[in-house]
Amino acid sequence: MSGVVVTPGRRLGLAAEYEAGSGTYVRSGMVYASILGTRAEEPAGDAGGKPTVRVERRNAKFAVPAVGSEVLCRVVRLNPRAASVAIMMVGETPCQEDFQGIVRVQDIRATEKDLVQMTESFRPGDVVRAEVISLGDQRSYYLATVRNEHGVVFAQSAAGNTMVPISWEEMQDPRTGAVEKRKCAKPF
Amino acid sequence: MATNIMDRRRINGPARSVEPLYGPGAAGADPFAGGRADGRGLDQVRAIYMKTGPLSGGQHEPSESAASGSAYYEQGRVRVSCAVYGPRQGRRSNARMGVFDCEFRYAPFACSWKRRSHVRGADEKEISLMLEHAVAPAIRLEAYPKACIDAFVTVIESDGKAATIAAAINCISAALADAGIEMYDSVAACSMGLRGAQWVADCCQAEEDAAPCSMLIAHMPSADEVTYILQHGKATPEQTDQAVQTCTNMCTRVYAVICRCLQASLE
Repeated sequence: MSGVVVTPGRRLGLAAEYEAGSGTYVRSGMVYASILGTRAEEPAGDAGGKPTVRVERRNAKFAVPAVGSEVLCRVVRLNPRAASVAIMMVGETPCQEDFQGIVRVQDIRATEKDLVQMTESFRPGDVVRAEVISLGDQRSYYLATVRNEHGVVFAQSAAGNTMVPISWEEMQDPRTGAVEKRKCAKPF
Repeated sequence: MATNIMDRRRINGPARSVEPLYGPGAAGADPFAGGRADGRGLDQVRAIYMKTGPLSGGQHEPSESAASGSAYYEQGRVRVSCAVYGPRQGRRSNARMGVFDCEFRYAPFACSWKRRSHVRGADEKEISLMLEHAVAPAIRLEAYPKACIDAFVTVIESDGKAATIAAAINCISAALADAGIEMYDSVAACSMGLRGAQWVADCCQAEEDAAPCSMLIAHMPSADEVTYILQHGKATPEQTDQAVQTCTNMCTRVYAVICRCLQASLE
């Protein structure tokens, strides 16, 4: 049954026999396909349980940010209270069009929140890894960079060179030696 | 003076109502006596041709300007194309559910009997809303919080208004599936016209002009749910009931064609 092309609304199996994976949904005890793609099955884990059935699409192009998802974004504008960012990637999937997000000044660091200065954390043009904490207001998603691995991952100095992080709070231009302040992400 | 003040907040019917005037309809001579002009059976829809991805680059790398998914749909001389964009950030957003927006346009040359204005007409707005209501129940909008899915439908050639709307619904379903949007089911639609006491499937313009009543049904065959019914004209309750039955059956047949085309697009 694997490898069969299915269309939305096609029955894939009983909900009692299968776990519904991505690209499927359950209605009245049956698992149905919800996207156009090929059917794939994953055997049950060692702990027992049911095999998972999902529908795969070769070029799954779209991602919508959800609460808790990790995103990669570019800083567009700064003001003392918040940074406006354009969300470019959600998890591993690039967004076809940018989503608008906001990093508020109190969501930049976990400690000493009252001492955080926006201009010492981000600059326009920085690429930032962040987590979605709320779907936010009418316009933007609310993001946070409180965790160690979240923060600036790519930044250019005033001279236009790519900088390297030298501490949690500083980045350095390897050519000119100039040091600028950022909320750095922990390198992997 | 007081009579000039209108209450605009409530729907005020006219003070006096009159029964609508119906044309001679069934009483007149049947202009199509002895079968249909194109030799089809009474319950036969016109031949369907469908292709996905003409506006979205098919299987190639998606580019910035290309649509997320698209489809071209042809049913006899009815030719419709649809482009789907999204899920993307919308103007009006809802934190719980996504929003589905549809824009329906006739091309200026779509109707052979008159040239359409490039300004969006009232009928186009009305049909846009109808398409939204017909297709939105099939989309899993709760999977796209705060996002917006836009469908743009262009009629390249029209031949029968109800048939054109049905074709537009089929085309949107295919384009949504091509875009990889999560859906409960594909919507298939079919139209019928009354001729004498008999229902005739998929009327062309000449047949529709002569029909006293036309019926359009959008149906999700796998979920067995009707998403939209549009009846235009006068029919007895029994005739309407019969039309709903026949039309849903035909929708299932159209659905099979759409599904086969979608499968072929991936293989």
